[in-house]
Amino acid sequence: MTGFAARDKGLGGHSRNADAPDPRRTRRRGGKRLARAMSDPTGVAAARISLPAPAIAAAILVVLIGLGVAIGGKVIAHQVVSGLLLGAIYMTVAVAFTLTIGVLNFLNFTIPTLFMLTGMAAWGLLSGGYLTLAGRGAWLAALAIGVAVAVIASLVVERFTFRYLKMKHGDATEHAIPLVSSLGFLIIFENLVLITLGSDSQRFAVPFAADLHVAGIVVGVPQLVSCVLAVAVVAALSFVLKRTKVGRALRTIAENPDTASLLGVDVGRVVPVVFILTGLLAGVAGALFTVNYGDVSPFMGDNVGTKAIAAMVLGGVGSIWGAIAGGLVVGLAETLSIQFFGGDSVAMTVWGLVLVIIVLRPKGLFGGAPIGKGKM
Amino acid sequence: MSGYLSGVLAIFCINLIFAYGIFVTAAAGQINLGGAGFQAIGAYAAGWLGSTMGTPIWFSIVAAALIAALVGFLISFPVLRTRGVYMVLATFAFGEVVAGFLLHTDVFGGAMGMVVPLHVELWVLVVSSIAVTLVAFYLMATRLGLSMRAVNDDEDAAIVMGVNVRAVQVAAFTIGGAFTGLSGALYALNFGFVEAQYFNALLSIYILLYVLIGGTQTAWGPLAGTVFFTMLPELFRVGGSARYLIFGILIVLMMALRPEGIITRGLVRGLSFRGGARGG
Amino acid sequence: MAAEPALTLDGVTKRFGGLAVTQDIRFAVPIGTRTALIGPNGAGKTTLFNLISGVYKIDAGRILLDGRPIQDLPPRKRVQAGLSRSFQNIRLMPHLSVIENIMLGQHTQASDVRSLLSPLAWQRKSRWRAEAVDSMRRAGIDVDPDAPVSGLPYGLRKKIEVVRALMSRPRLLMLDEPAAGLNPRETVELSAFLKSVAWDGLTMLVVEHDMSFVHDLCDRTVVLNFGRMIYDGPTSGVQDDAQVREAYLGSRRVAAKGAGRVA
Repeated sequence: MTGFAARDKGLGGHSRNADAPDPRRTRRRGGKRLARAMSDPTGVAAARISLPAPAIAAAILVVLIGLGVAIGGKVIAHQVVSGLLLGAIYMTVAVAFTLTIGVLNFLNFTIPTLFMLTGMAAWGLLSGGYLTLAGRGAWLAALAIGVAVAVIASLVVERFTFRYLKMKHGDATEHAIPLVSSLGFLIIFENLVLITLGSDSQRFAVPFAADLHVAGIVVGVPQLVSCVLAVAVVAALSFVLKRTKVGRALRTIAENPDTASLLGVDVGRVVPVVFILTGLLAGVAGALFTVNYGDVSPFMGDNVGTKAIAAMVLGGVGSIWGAIAGGLVVGLAETLSIQFFGGDSVAMTVWGLVLVIIVLRPKGLFGGAPIGKGKM
Repeated sequence: MSGYLSGVLAIFCINLIFAYGIFVTAAAGQINLGGAGFQAIGAYAAGWLGSTMGTPIWFSIVAAALIAALVGFLISFPVLRTRGVYMVLATFAFGEVVAGFLLHTDVFGGAMGMVVPLHVELWVLVVSSIAVTLVAFYLMATRLGLSMRAVNDDEDAAIVMGVNVRAVQVAAFTIGGAFTGLSGALYALNFGFVEAQYFNALLSIYILLYVLIGGTQTAWGPLAGTVFFTMLPELFRVGGSARYLIFGILIVLMMALRPEGIITRGLVRGLSFRGGARGG
Repeated sequence: MAAEPALTLDGVTKRFGGLAVTQDIRFAVPIGTRTALIGPNGAGKTTLFNLISGVYKIDAGRILLDGRPIQDLPPRKRVQAGLSRSFQNIRLMPHLSVIENIMLGQHTQASDVRSLLSPLAWQRKSRWRAEAVDSMRRAGIDVDPDAPVSGLPYGLRKKIEVVRALMSRPRLLMLDEPAAGLNPRETVELSAFLKSVAWDGLTMLVVEHDMSFVHDLCDRTVVLNFGRMIYDGPTSGVQDDAQVREAYLGSRRVAAKGAGRVA
């Protein structure tokens, strides 16, 4: 039996939450929402991102890593650094996914493609000799333009995929309309790249390889910069959501999808922001990947996409902190398990875990607070 | 019939049955993005039963469909705890788990795939697809089909009408599993070889596209969708990637202009009025 | 020997996060009668409906249908026990036709395997369709039964919802603002229709704001205010009751609101 307290067609149409089975829990949440709505008429409470759970996860992580390094020495430490880098990339993409689902209830399948577009566009510009004016900074210019391409592509997707209007469809499959559209764009972008740039994997040359030596471990400067950059981007996003007007608007939409415009949000101007952020996040991740691994291909988004989705689910769909934690965990787990177990039955285990979590505990392992608090 | 044409017809029939499998759940309001997983179950089950266990072909096919139906039944319980985007993710995860499992289990050939030394003729595929189509039309005409459409429209109001929503949804997953598994079995026995890499996310995506673009309001939808996807490429005599590019554009346009799909109830009603006094 | 009332509410209380939306509601609706449930906006009328039909679970008290406690039954079982309701904001299935919506109401009568699996849509002469068309016509719904509901005018869709609620041959029919949005002629038609379908033992509980409709249809009235019951008695006595007057008129409402409508 599905409990459906405090939910009628007019209020919070997206409150179809995966926690449905326990009526008592649903009702309590619905009751809290009603009480809060009554006491906070604008419905925009400050985002109290609940620190305890992710902080605990981080603490556990640090302890485990410390132990591992202490026991395994340099080899482990090196793997850990690699894992964190990979994790930083996964986390950035995961945040893009989770932001879009959290605010717009939209599973955006173009995100891995945007990731790919950055790398391929950057390579295309560089190898096509379009950036000779930039001299030795050509690689950086190429990447910057690549990120811009991702943002523009993302806005194109918004224009044709997601118009925040009441869908005329009005049935249980209406949420699939933007999803299908995003699948269409996935096909369009991928094949555009295949036609213009071919299907081969390409090398992207980065003209420096300065290494740092920290406590006996070799850390590449690109690796370090990447981690810092990824963290900075995500921290900036967190700040935007918490402190700025736009951020508040986004959280309002996340919490009240059907009534946001009544609460004073200019939905038509705010929704594109999500897509710009998506493009930025996916693009930066793509740039970081390109610089650190040096390989780009029209299919480079596929693997990262699936890992990022898994990371998002692990951390709890709709939770930014969860995506961060999830991304790091997946990156570390992948690097360490390849070191020890080799091969790729990782994929099956990861997806099995995703399935179990989504069904049993959609709040994820780390239970971070979702963007629209109370929406899930 | 030329080899080329019979190949196209074979693919069409398999895809049509596959599409009806996804259609049945979509008509009841559930998006299944793990179709390839169910098809893989049917394909491997039929292939393994037929070649390793040596059962007669018809038995392998029926058993494979039933096994897939059973899996659909069992998986529906956890999956139905989710809704919307979460259900898409859950079914997608299921598809990946099945594909990953088959890839790594050497019993079924692992990454090398499994050869299926039996063969069903094209006429079996054609007859099966006609049969499945008729069953689908029949199902949608029954009160069960009506309940499914009601659940799709408004699950909560359907409960208040006394509909056992959970049972209807489980039934949809089970029947959908049977059809999808059947398509896999026929694929395995017609093509002669199966490999896990074939049953991937892109396959699940494409079959879902067939169904949603064809339209989920009537049983004509999957027919339209399969025609659209299987026949249209034959019209575009351009190279591989360009053809898919046009696909992608058509998909985006469809969702922007006519998200209900090609065939809607209104269209069917309008056409039947014009065709005479049959409707009304 | 007097039969059990069709509906008995015994101390029904519901809280949403510390706020008591309904508080200790107690009344009984005898079989075969029509009772109105009125009150200012926010009094808890629709909440009470949701509690009775099972959308919400009560926090305290009991709900009895024909003397049988139903407060622990899931909504579907309550429907099977003889409950039926319509909705304040119409909840017809938008992609189904008029006749399909109405036939959906028959579900509890038709949920055996044979009825579930016979091709209803192809059987134009089935008893289900005949019964549904007949009810349609008697309610004055004169459109093509196979027309989609989504294009139809509001008043017509309201009537279709009422007819749908009747199809399950309920013991207790709960109507949530059935006359809202209807013009005076339609309102009179609806009242006449409801009186005509009152088969032996059909009991009605009606939430309404339109007092002339209430006076015409219901001999008893229960008045809620802020979740509490402030009147339970003959409809004729409602407007003279001191507490009711204070509830409606004492909250800065203009006293001259006309005899026909309250709130």
